[in-house]
Amino acid sequence: MTVRVSLLLRLALGAALAAFAGAGAGAQTPGQDEMNVVDQPGYQPTPEEEQLTGAYEKQEVFFRTTEAPGTIIIDTKGRFLYLVQGNNRALRYGIGVGRDGFTWSGLQKIARKQEWPDWRPPPEMIERQPYLPRFMAGGPGNPLGARAMYLGGTVYRIHGTNQPDTIGHAVSSGCFRLVNDDVIDLYDRVPVGTKVIIRQAVAL
Amino acid sequence: MRKMIPIVLALAAAQAFSVAAQSQTLKTVQDRGSLICGVNPSLEGFATKDANGQWSGFDVDFCRAVAAAIFDDPSKVQYVPLSASDRFDAVKNKQIDVLSRNSSWTMGREGDNGVVFTGVTYYDGQAFLVPKSRNFQSALELDGSKVCVQPGTTTELNFVDFFEANHMKYETVHEASADDMIAAYNAGQCNVLTTDASGLFAMRERLTKPSDNMILPDIISKEPLGPAVRQDDMQWFNIVKWVNFAMINAEELGVSSKTIDDALKSQKPSVKRLMGTDGDFGKPFGLSGDWAVRIVRGVGNYAEVFDRNVGAHSKLGIPRGLNELWSNGGIQYAPPIR
Repeated sequence: MTVRVSLLLRLALGAALAAFAGAGAGAQTPGQDEMNVVDQPGYQPTPEEEQLTGAYEKQEVFFRTTEAPGTIIIDTKGRFLYLVQGNNRALRYGIGVGRDGFTWSGLQKIARKQEWPDWRPPPEMIERQPYLPRFMAGGPGNPLGARAMYLGGTVYRIHGTNQPDTIGHAVSSGCFRLVNDDVIDLYDRVPVGTKVIIRQAVAL
Repeated sequence: MRKMIPIVLALAAAQAFSVAAQSQTLKTVQDRGSLICGVNPSLEGFATKDANGQWSGFDVDFCRAVAAAIFDDPSKVQYVPLSASDRFDAVKNKQIDVLSRNSSWTMGREGDNGVVFTGVTYYDGQAFLVPKSRNFQSALELDGSKVCVQPGTTTELNFVDFFEANHMKYETVHEASADDMIAAYNAGQCNVLTTDASGLFAMRERLTKPSDNMILPDIISKEPLGPAVRQDDMQWFNIVKWVNFAMINAEELGVSSKTIDDALKSQKPSVKRLMGTDGDFGKPFGLSGDWAVRIVRGVGNYAEVFDRNVGAHSKLGIPRGLNELWSNGGIQYAPPIR
């Protein structure tokens, strides 16, 4: 119950903020049901909230691919991250995709891995959410969650979250987010150098 | 030479007759003002009727898509709930125009029942449900399992073959119905349930604690489900076939009920042909130029229909698996519109 309430509250907050900012965000939205959720530094979800169910729960699925086992394939449209296992299998994790996650597709490598990363919201996020801290040390309640994997030389990363109810949605900030249990699980399975393929919805 | 004349005449007559026969179904449906669609009386995710008499489900949405293509109105469908044993006779006797009732496409059914399948809307197949606590990654780890199964079904034969081929021991626990299988599993009389994957996802919802159980990704049999029509009407066969292909192509091209207005302005040749803004591909089948637009606007593309009825946005949460597009890890593939 508290989950829904907090989500609604944040949705309302997000909507109010977006309206206030007059957000040029409209032009950048992925054209999908974007969830205007604001970041909640310091918020610590309950274990029940962190337990995903249904399609977004981590599971092994049938997956045909010519990519080698160990490759990560991110399907932004379906909100899934696949870790290729070979033999037509993949481990599938539910993800939330931030606006930045829709801006590019193609091939990257995991360049760096970090446990409990610090958070420095970029200027454009500060502009949208002026009350955000300029710096937050890594730990529970940090919006980047328990782990981060940096993609190539970009500022983009696969990371955890302290807002598990954003999984399965297009959210207003962040790149590719997983619940903390999942990002820890993934982190332990993939070394630096892992190939990451990002697939976007086709353009009309 | 003289002998040839009657034969030629007979052939010509037969030809004329078959042309007349060919366009009957579409005309009948149009004159009637609605499509008559045979569906499952009650199958979670595929066809169910709510308290207000409204039908919904994956198979129901296919009926609605055919109606949308013809009438530009997905509600112009009369549903006929059919049992497994009555379904093909209902097609043959012209009681229904199309059968959309989780039916597996097999050679025998086309040979013996006078029907023809128009394609595969859902690749199903036999799978295994196990407690998560057993921590299995693969069906090859099922050695020594107690398996609940309905006796005398192909399901039983399939699982026995699978276990024996992989040198695994098993104990069969016969249960007469799905309800009995669920009760036996809940009571711990067996630790594996097996039937078609779609059925297992529906069964899982009815277990004491659904989330403590998982369906292994292994599929051990081929159950390609699809719509079926009569064999005597090529035009109708083509319409029903291309409704399915249009929905799959729409997903592949990024055309959904949400993006349809943008798609109508698209300059991409493949999108324009689907939208009917370039060419008139529905015309030879008696359909309007915007036939596919009507389907996508009124019902959705393949992904939308899958997700809301049986997939990520439904209670069942069935992974796309084999039903993912060929370009995204699955085998769903539609010939191009051009």
